[in-house]
Amino acid sequence: MPRVIERNNVHIRGTGEKAMMFAHGFGCDQNMWRFVAPAFEKDFKTVLFDHVGAGGSDLSAYDRDKYSSLAGYADDVVELGREFGLQDAVFVGHSVSSMIGVLAAEKAPGMFGKLVLIGPSARYVDDEGYVGGFSAKQIEELLQFLEANHMGWSAQMAPMIMGNPDRPELRQELTNSFCRTDPEIAKAFARVTFTSDNREDLGRVSVPTLVLQCSEDIIASQEVGDFVNRAIPKSRMIVLQATGHCPNLSAPEEVVSAMRTFV
Amino acid sequence: MDGAPHLDFQEIIENAPCGYISLLPNGRIEHVNATFLSWSGYSANEMVGKRLSDFLSIAGRIYYETHIAPLLRMQGSFEEFAIDVLKADGQPLQMIANANERRHADGRPLSIRLALIRATDRRRYEQDLLGARELAKAAEKATEEKLQHEREAAELREQFIAVLGHDLRNPLASMSAGARILAQTAQTEKEHQVVAMMQTTAMRMAGLIDDVLDLTRGRLGGGIALERDTEKPLEPVLAQVVDELRLASPGRVIETEFKIDRPVNCDRSRIGQMLSNLLGNALTHGASNKLVVVHASTQNGSFELWVANAGEVIPEASMDKLFQPFFRGKARASKQGLGLGLYIASEIAKAHRGELTVSSTVDETRFTFTMPLD
Repeated sequence: MPRVIERNNVHIRGTGEKAMMFAHGFGCDQNMWRFVAPAFEKDFKTVLFDHVGAGGSDLSAYDRDKYSSLAGYADDVVELGREFGLQDAVFVGHSVSSMIGVLAAEKAPGMFGKLVLIGPSARYVDDEGYVGGFSAKQIEELLQFLEANHMGWSAQMAPMIMGNPDRPELRQELTNSFCRTDPEIAKAFARVTFTSDNREDLGRVSVPTLVLQCSEDIIASQEVGDFVNRAIPKSRMIVLQATGHCPNLSAPEEVVSAMRTFV
Repeated sequence: MDGAPHLDFQEIIENAPCGYISLLPNGRIEHVNATFLSWSGYSANEMVGKRLSDFLSIAGRIYYETHIAPLLRMQGSFEEFAIDVLKADGQPLQMIANANERRHADGRPLSIRLALIRATDRRRYEQDLLGARELAKAAEKATEEKLQHEREAAELREQFIAVLGHDLRNPLASMSAGARILAQTAQTEKEHQVVAMMQTTAMRMAGLIDDVLDLTRGRLGGGIALERDTEKPLEPVLAQVVDELRLASPGRVIETEFKIDRPVNCDRSRIGQMLSNLLGNALTHGASNKLVVVHASTQNGSFELWVANAGEVIPEASMDKLFQPFFRGKARASKQGLGLGLYIASEIAKAHRGELTVSSTVDETRFTFTMPLD
């Protein structure tokens, strides 16, 4: 099995000719797409994966330097796209993966023909003349707070979770079986997510883009979504009735039908 | 009796020893119990209809949106998570919570319920533990760096000595060669004396350099390497060492007892070097009017070589240090070496899987080397 498939815990389904790649955001893994991805399996080949450090990815592949910027994650996306020969595919990115998709599309022209960005933000920290929604101090507080929420992770458990993918019954013993990861990595991912600034990259997106904006999203507000939509030349936006930051879980039907109008 | 007493569920929930909050599927607060209200300082009117996020710290909000809400949708419940509530007075209230989702038969969420307990002390304790872990990590790193630094310095030092020893040999060799040529053409008594002194000094210096090199070999790992040979006899090598030292110490009596009747699997030149060191010591430190005995024999499956002399007793305090490098006993300055002779002898013993021991009484000081024959 190619290295990247194991490294990123890749799962491919669907019968379509074109591919649709789903990239999860901060806080979870490809399980985020469980109510959305199946709806596209008839028309697309769906490619789901975990970012290195999340879910069922190979934690030993976690490289502190490489993943200290979103470009490192975008390189992985491009590598996966090359592995499966993706051309003119649809990239669906949630939250921070929106910007990872923006970077990947620029790195590999022709690989992605359309981008779907769910709850995107080009920068979370406020700046002069820009509202991101958070102050630098609040982001530091978040990183502190993450230490208090280790999600039941302990080093002793890691081999049990990571080492027995073929024995799912072991996972059921665990209180929180999804989205569990090494708190050190979670913290590093939070840092790169919430301190990135991709405003300059948006103007270079040359493919048609759909921004899906939630109502009452405190992570990526309407204002932040508007900025992304305005800055990407061929972008349009659909504001969902869904509230919160994860419409792919809380309102999958609405997300699916909005996406269908675009792909 | 009237049967089971009536259970007042409303009272049970309102005054439970934990906070209890239920949310509508859109995240709006549906109900808050009295316990939570009294802890947080809000009234029911202030909370109902609002989003739970409105009452959390920024960090708590982000965590709720990115972890708790999605996990509840995926696995239906989420336990033991930390959550920071902002009280009515603006102060944070640190809590631990469990949450679950009440679902419709088709899987749609009907409500989300949270049970919360105060966890201020627990959180402080956790932070102390994390802090202690960070400190321990930092200390470990500092120690590791220091150790690494020391190791590198030591290695450099020993390499330096090895290179120096090697580079010193060449000029010394040309000096010795020059002295040999001069010895053939020397005319006067004075010239012969000076040339002889030059040759002795060059030999002594060569011996010192050899000792330094052996020390570094022993210390740079590996230990002293041997070229073992059972074929050739050992006795002539030992006899030659004794003869050389007899020549160098005229007026001293050296008695030998050689009873080697089995082949000894050893590096003969190293054993010769050991004897030279031991005998040299005996001649330097022993009483000059008493004889020195050299004994070598094979018996009971082992080879034994000892050198005995009469003289001052070695003080108890020095016994442990004798075999350490650079240890020097009391001797006239002109006779002082580097203090490596016994160290190297013991390293040679170790390389032969043997041992070098010492005993010292008013009658006799004896260094004994034994090694197994098999």
